[in-house]
Amino acid sequence: MCDTCGCGDDKFSVHFHNEPHEHNHDHDHDEHHHHHHHHEEEHSHTHKKVIDMNVDILSQNNLLAQRNRGYLEGRNVLCFNLVSSPGSGKTTILEKTIKLLLPTRQVFVIEGDQQTTRDAERVEKAGAPAIQVNTGTGCHLDAQMIQSAMRKMEVSSGSVLFIENVGNLVCPALFDLGEQKRVVVISVTEGDDKPLKYPYMFQSSQLCIINKIDLLPYVKFDVEKACGYARELNPNIEILLLSAENCEGMSQWIEWIQIQ
Amino acid sequence: MHELSLAIEVIDLATREADKHKASTILEIEIEVGYLSGVEADIFLSALQLIVKETLLENTLIRLTQTPADGHCLGCHIHFEMKNRMDACPQCGSFPSEITGGQEFRLVAMEVE
Repeated sequence: MCDTCGCGDDKFSVHFHNEPHEHNHDHDHDEHHHHHHHHEEEHSHTHKKVIDMNVDILSQNNLLAQRNRGYLEGRNVLCFNLVSSPGSGKTTILEKTIKLLLPTRQVFVIEGDQQTTRDAERVEKAGAPAIQVNTGTGCHLDAQMIQSAMRKMEVSSGSVLFIENVGNLVCPALFDLGEQKRVVVISVTEGDDKPLKYPYMFQSSQLCIINKIDLLPYVKFDVEKACGYARELNPNIEILLLSAENCEGMSQWIEWIQIQ
Repeated sequence: MHELSLAIEVIDLATREADKHKASTILEIEIEVGYLSGVEADIFLSALQLIVKETLLENTLIRLTQTPADGHCLGCHIHFEMKNRMDACPQCGSFPSEITGGQEFRLVAMEVE
């Protein structure tokens, strides 16, 4: 095994902090060979070529996300990507929101979960056509999944489309879906330091909903602290306090949706 | 484990590019992971290792460089190396700073034949 980087029988190497570390290995490594040496030996007669790419690995997702965004904007559809940990109340918020929005706007929902169609059934019962995307072992939705879901659903113009992402505050942060705004939901039964623990998500969201405020008398959640942490991370983030259970704060949320 | 999706993305990107150049083998691939990119370099490499079998990257040397993050202080305008997103400016202590580097996750280059 190479003492410099630990590479040896396997062909993977990690270099930290831009330290130059060439893998020429002209010194003797009798006990092992790097794969690229084999190639050099076997194919010395063929033409080697270095291709400069410099491409963002998420570029394909970002490109599809922009296409989704354009598709939705062209139809005057408002699209929100709801992200949170499991159990923060996203689906209950959606059920209540659908009922309040329906008199004036059509609502569509794309539900992301690893398994089951339970959430899609709940929001359909509330009155919005829904498509369930099961990610299987996947931990997030990506722009391709949204594109396929929209092809099946025919989102009508002037409507509101909610994407309920997989309950996870880590992975979905990296994947633009083509939404207009990203909404991060936390509930007061979680820690008030959640923003500090998952900074990527709070920095990439435009709105933070603090849900289940009807439970505030029974839990140790400090609203001021949570808001402070969220704003420290993202000075532009808007914050709404609500209880989907007793509808407190729901009118401000509906108003926020309407003015987007 | 978004690193697995990203590993799939790398294989797709590299394979498409190799096809474009009518290359039959990818000898080496260079990837840059910014310190604040949200991608765990070790997990990404393990994920890639799991799925390269029977792809053009099966015998490829993966060069992965982790690049430091750069912060620009909005108070005193110095640039400093950031270790995490919550770092305050080491000179004036102000917060937050603008992240100006280290968020990239790029396929830089590859060698094919």
